[in-house]
Amino acid sequence: MSTVENTTTIRKFAGNQQFLLLLVWFGMVAFFSAFNSIFFSTAVFGNILLDWAPVVLMAVGQSYVIISGGIDLSVGSTVGLSGVVAAFQMQHMMESGKNQWLVIAIGTIVAASVGVIIGLVNGFLITKAKIVPFIATLVTMGASAGLAIIYSGGAPVAGGPEKAITLSVPWFGPLSTPGLIVVGIVFICGLFLHRARFGRYTYAIGSNEFAARSAGINVNRHYLKVYALSGFLSGLAGMYYYCRLGSGAPTSGYGGELDAIAAVVIGGAALSGGVGRISGTVLGALILTTTTSGLIIIGVAPDWKQVVVAILIAAAVLLQGAKGDSRGARK
Amino acid sequence: MSAPLYEVRNISKKYGSVVALDGADFQIHAGEIVGLVGDNGAGKSTLVKCLSGAHKPTSGSILLDGQEVSWDSPRDAIEAGVETLYQDSGLAPHLTVSANVFLGREKFLSGPLGKLGFLDNKAMNKEAHEDLDRVGIAVPASNRSVSQLSGGQRQAVAIGRAVSWASKVIILDEPTNHLGARQAGEVLEVMKAARAKGLGVVFISHTLPHVLQVTDRIVVLRLGKIVANAPTSEFDAERLLGTITGLNQVQ
Repeated sequence: MSTVENTTTIRKFAGNQQFLLLLVWFGMVAFFSAFNSIFFSTAVFGNILLDWAPVVLMAVGQSYVIISGGIDLSVGSTVGLSGVVAAFQMQHMMESGKNQWLVIAIGTIVAASVGVIIGLVNGFLITKAKIVPFIATLVTMGASAGLAIIYSGGAPVAGGPEKAITLSVPWFGPLSTPGLIVVGIVFICGLFLHRARFGRYTYAIGSNEFAARSAGINVNRHYLKVYALSGFLSGLAGMYYYCRLGSGAPTSGYGGELDAIAAVVIGGAALSGGVGRISGTVLGALILTTTTSGLIIIGVAPDWKQVVVAILIAAAVLLQGAKGDSRGARK
Repeated sequence: MSAPLYEVRNISKKYGSVVALDGADFQIHAGEIVGLVGDNGAGKSTLVKCLSGAHKPTSGSILLDGQEVSWDSPRDAIEAGVETLYQDSGLAPHLTVSANVFLGREKFLSGPLGKLGFLDNKAMNKEAHEDLDRVGIAVPASNRSVSQLSGGQRQAVAIGRAVSWASKVIILDEPTNHLGARQAGEVLEVMKAARAKGLGVVFISHTLPHVLQVTDRIVVLRLGKIVANAPTSEFDAERLLGTITGLNQVQ
């Protein structure tokens, strides 16, 4: 009797993606710490969290997009372009002697706005021009990356407020102010995805767009909002990199779209839509950045990160498939 | 008979040069089940889409309660009390039963959180269960994911959803498809419950015995035109089939 109960409890936990991800993460921490005890330190965890924050910002937006049944390839380029545009704005304001905090606030608004604009362009291409999300966001990905390089001349744009850089320094264990703000944003996005109507519609559209439409949901407007949100969060990630690097580099989000998609998929979302959780994405992003730091610390070439990430994605997708079979989910 | 509850007059729909619907008249009264039948390509789906607000007719008028109406989207029709259940596509499988029942008209928490769009899932779970129960559908727990239900259960939930929300007309497109005999029987009972509630029920089906069993009146479409509109008592299986295929005609 009790053995039966035990196995069902074990099964329940094994079927819980978040629990598995947490196990994987603990396993990684143990592995890296065993190889080099330096890994298990506040400084390293602080660094992992600093790397994690921009990835999770992009990945949370990507979660909404993927749960709605789409994909957003433009997030990495959005980071670069929004960082560059905000950097020029802040440089200009510093030259006219404005208050540093005001400059940072305006820079953040500019970066977020650039992201929203790119997101809206994605949304219009998808809903009005009827271009599939993969191609539509591939178009804005290329355009934004190109514009960032043209606008900046290919070099980082500096000359902004110095307080932006000091902001990124952890002040409580591994925690920094931008990191805490990111945690807050992720938490709010999670609440809206899992508890509010905005999230409910996102799942419904990804699960069965026709059903959502015939229930009277304005599906096109919802797509627009979802891509705008993804752009908004990527714009904030652009500002985050600015604070970390002290300049707006056109290449700061290079490859960010792949990290974001990988985090979401490792977190248990299905590219076919309707499935996924923010907690999974948060852990997925944490596993990604832990891999990068860990490999560097144990002295393995960071290029191995891609191999490790590839294995994690494959494992996540296989697990997804196994779950899908047992549940009999179909579109 | 009293004035029709919902009616289309001389309605036509063209897709480019293809005439899908050609000057059709169709009425449904309160407390009546009308069977809409016809071969593939006869224009049934097109008529349903015009009735549900999914498509705008090229010409002709739509009247609800004697008032001329024009639907810009399914939302308009739904808000006016016209519910449509499409073939095989009514539910979002990843959502729970109650999330599906309340899709598009969620209940919110009271207070500031509700203003931000936060959902009252407890209330929706409870009410979804009651709503489905009322129309005679035995539901499993309403907080279960629809993907965990059998095909018959899904269809029952979809119909229960439509019946519990419709205030005037309910349009059911092939609701008994892919169902076993017992489950199909349950669906027919739900339709009778909807009629008893005073709704106008439009029943589109290829399963002629079901149509003959449950409807009060049958309308036959062929090549975009209405070729028959008569009480069900005037049809038997052979005559109905003949009218659909065009081998005989009922005036």
